[in-house]
Amino acid sequence: MNFFIQIIVSGLTFGAMYALAAVGLALVWGAFNMLNMAHGIIMTLGAYFVLVWAEGWGLPLWLAGPFAFLAGGLFGAGVYFVSAHWMLRQRNFEVTIIIATFGLGMALEAGLMKILREWFHASPYAQPLSMGADSFLINDVPVSYQRLIIWAVAVVLIALVALFLTRTTMGRAIRATAQNRDAARLMGVKVKRVYVIVLALASALAGVAGIMLSSFKDVVPLMGQTPMLKAFIVIVLAGLGNMAGALYAALLIGMVEAAVKVLVADKWGFLAMLVVVVIAIIWRPAGLFGKHQIARQ
Amino acid sequence: MKTRDYVFFVILLALAAAFPFMGVPRYIIASTLLLFCYATVVSQWNLVFGIAGIFSLAQLAIFAFGAYSTALMGRYLDWSLWPTFPIAGAAGVIFSIFIGLACLRMRGIYVALLTLAISQTMFVLIQTDSDCSELNKAINPSTCVAFTGGPQGLGDFGTFGWREVLGGRNWMMGDYYSMLGLLIVALVFTAAMTQSRIGLAFKALRDNEELATSRGVSVFKYQLIVFAASAFLTAMAGAFYAAHFGSVGTNLVSFPLLLFLISMLVVGGIGRNWGPLLGAGLLMVADEFFKEFSDLRNIGLGLVVLLFMIFLPEGVAGAIESVCKRLQRLALVQHIERRLTAALRRDSAAPD
Amino acid sequence: MAETLLSVQNLYAGYEGQSVLKDVSFDVPEGGLISMLGPNGHGKTTLLRCIAGLLRPTGGQIELAGRRIDGAEAETVVGLGVVLIPQGDMLFPDMSVYDNLKMGAYLPRVRKTFDREVEHIYEILPRLKERTTQLARTLSGGERRMLAIGRGLLAGGRILMIDEPSLGLAPIVIDQIYEIITDLKASGRTILLVEENASRIIDLADRIHLLDTGHIVWAGDGEELQNNQQILETYLGG
Repeated sequence: MNFFIQIIVSGLTFGAMYALAAVGLALVWGAFNMLNMAHGIIMTLGAYFVLVWAEGWGLPLWLAGPFAFLAGGLFGAGVYFVSAHWMLRQRNFEVTIIIATFGLGMALEAGLMKILREWFHASPYAQPLSMGADSFLINDVPVSYQRLIIWAVAVVLIALVALFLTRTTMGRAIRATAQNRDAARLMGVKVKRVYVIVLALASALAGVAGIMLSSFKDVVPLMGQTPMLKAFIVIVLAGLGNMAGALYAALLIGMVEAAVKVLVADKWGFLAMLVVVVIAIIWRPAGLFGKHQIARQ
Repeated sequence: MKTRDYVFFVILLALAAAFPFMGVPRYIIASTLLLFCYATVVSQWNLVFGIAGIFSLAQLAIFAFGAYSTALMGRYLDWSLWPTFPIAGAAGVIFSIFIGLACLRMRGIYVALLTLAISQTMFVLIQTDSDCSELNKAINPSTCVAFTGGPQGLGDFGTFGWREVLGGRNWMMGDYYSMLGLLIVALVFTAAMTQSRIGLAFKALRDNEELATSRGVSVFKYQLIVFAASAFLTAMAGAFYAAHFGSVGTNLVSFPLLLFLISMLVVGGIGRNWGPLLGAGLLMVADEFFKEFSDLRNIGLGLVVLLFMIFLPEGVAGAIESVCKRLQRLALVQHIERRLTAALRRDSAAPD
Repeated sequence: MAETLLSVQNLYAGYEGQSVLKDVSFDVPEGGLISMLGPNGHGKTTLLRCIAGLLRPTGGQIELAGRRIDGAEAETVVGLGVVLIPQGDMLFPDMSVYDNLKMGAYLPRVRKTFDREVEHIYEILPRLKERTTQLARTLSGGERRMLAIGRGLLAGGRILMIDEPSLGLAPIVIDQIYEIITDLKASGRTILLVEENASRIIDLADRIHLLDTGHIVWAGDGEELQNNQQILETYLGG
């Protein structure tokens, strides 16, 4: 019973973090078939923005989260203007943008490492926003307050994104672009603006996901890589571009990881996810929750 | 491939064979043989990616699989490494067939994500391998080494063995020609593959997908064949890499090496005959020149990949090809013009 | 006749090296209903895509009230007042009928009057009112066409281009749609109508152009077309 609770608690936490990272990826893919391989480094940067804000500049800690959100968003818009903007007309855009943003991500990561070596002499760092291990008990299983905050932040942010997409004019334009790009343009939607906004939004969420990740482990330069790949696995499982599906898939993947971690060992988690996804796609080619895009030829 | 390509190939080959006797320093020989190794991998990747249109990022995983196969056989079975090479190649083929069966029926973009995830899985599994293995205790009871060596990597499994044959001064030559031999096999194989029925089928597919599929070209079957076949030499290249360095580590499946190989593919030109050689050559030379700025290396590589994808997605080979084509067209136009003016002059000179 | 609103001169266009439109020229006067007639696959849709900015022409020019619009992006062209109701409807399948209509009024010039205008649309197209909350993907073919027309009307604009409004619909639905188009014409809207079916537009259009393999091969009004036995037999099957 106890390890069951343990799996749920830990799985919900992983799920919340992956959801924040994956919803943005799904949003960007839906809008213009771009997979952003620099997503991982933006997660990492989110965690570092807090360090810079709180410890580098000594500004109030409670504003560090919003700062990381905004800075992540700006970075996302920057990614658009240095890569996708110039490549939209390429015939193989889906593929070339992956390679281009992979290069960009690696360059950013190496640049970050170089700056960090000069700014913060020691790495890893503890995440200033982490609340430590203070916890309460559910049936003898400790649940840290940190987790409660992660759940709350994830739920609030995702609800806000949902409201934005369904209730605002820009949100409707984003959904319209994802559903039929040419039709959206015929309505007067400036699609390039939509691309910038979705990339900024996805990156802002990734920044927050990065803070969450670093609140359990430390802030280190390569911390975003594996979570990014897990977020990719999540959107593949959901069916590319399916945002609601990405939420469920994130929770499912989080649970799988937690179960493997509790029952077997941490290191098999990634392999287990991969197996789940491959089986899921062979079973349901459009992804578990996909409707339109068929994954298989 | 034209006759000109073959002539060019033979000249390059002669140059490469004579290179160690040109009085170049030893470390240049060492980086050139590494170039051969990477060029082998990239040529096979080009076959998979550029010719067969499979957007696989598992090439590095297959390379590392070959390297680790040889390392593990050399260490735990105490074999000489030569017989392990073909076995490592075959292991790579089997590994790639598993990957192919799982991924290749999917759309390109899913293939990219899943193969990248497979590489990362491999990285994580080796990186976190920390339990002392019984097999290692049998070799040296006093130390604790994980089965794959874990994050520290694995050594002590032997080398090509040229030191025993050629001596301490010349063993590098042995390694050099071994790598060169592998590269030649890889290039010949690539050329044969491109011109085979399968290669032509893929060309037909690129030119007109509907027509090709209606003629019964089974994309999945052919893709799987190319994917598996190219895995053999890729894994062999890994095995040779292990045999040259005498050690393997997780850097073989890491993002920085993936970036390095991708930049070779991209700079050379994806899907171009000369792309892999050109790309590997240019990148190795650039790497040599910028050695002092090694902490800027990945920044530079990343930006190179980004800029090439934006401005020159067909790579240097593609750019050269299109310049040549334009020059040829220009020459043709001039030729026609000359003929026309000559004809006109004759007409006007002729009496009415 | 009134002043020229849209003018197409020597237009060339195509896909991947194949030219579909060759030297197409015609004018659309303010308040007129001009029609392009011709068999499928002869460039009618390409022509409208070019004017709407979804496809870049390879030669020639397009002017709206004296201003060049060829080469502009679709989102700019619609902002200038050229509205296309596309072939195949191109709805937003996972949005409700209401949200689809709201997207029609996306441009700032019509956004504020949406609440009033949508009531007007519901009057013309009562079926849409019954289905407001339904997803567009669940509509029938006729309802889709209605929604596409309603969405296009909400965009306002100076000229309305309609691509094959009768394609694939039951005769009774086609009648309804042509009633709406007739009303639009009567209310003074400028319309460029593409059709395959001559009988529907012979009495309606001010001028009819016949498009054949990318060329305009004949132009005249409905009466002239009816009297031209040769054209009717060659292109329109009698």
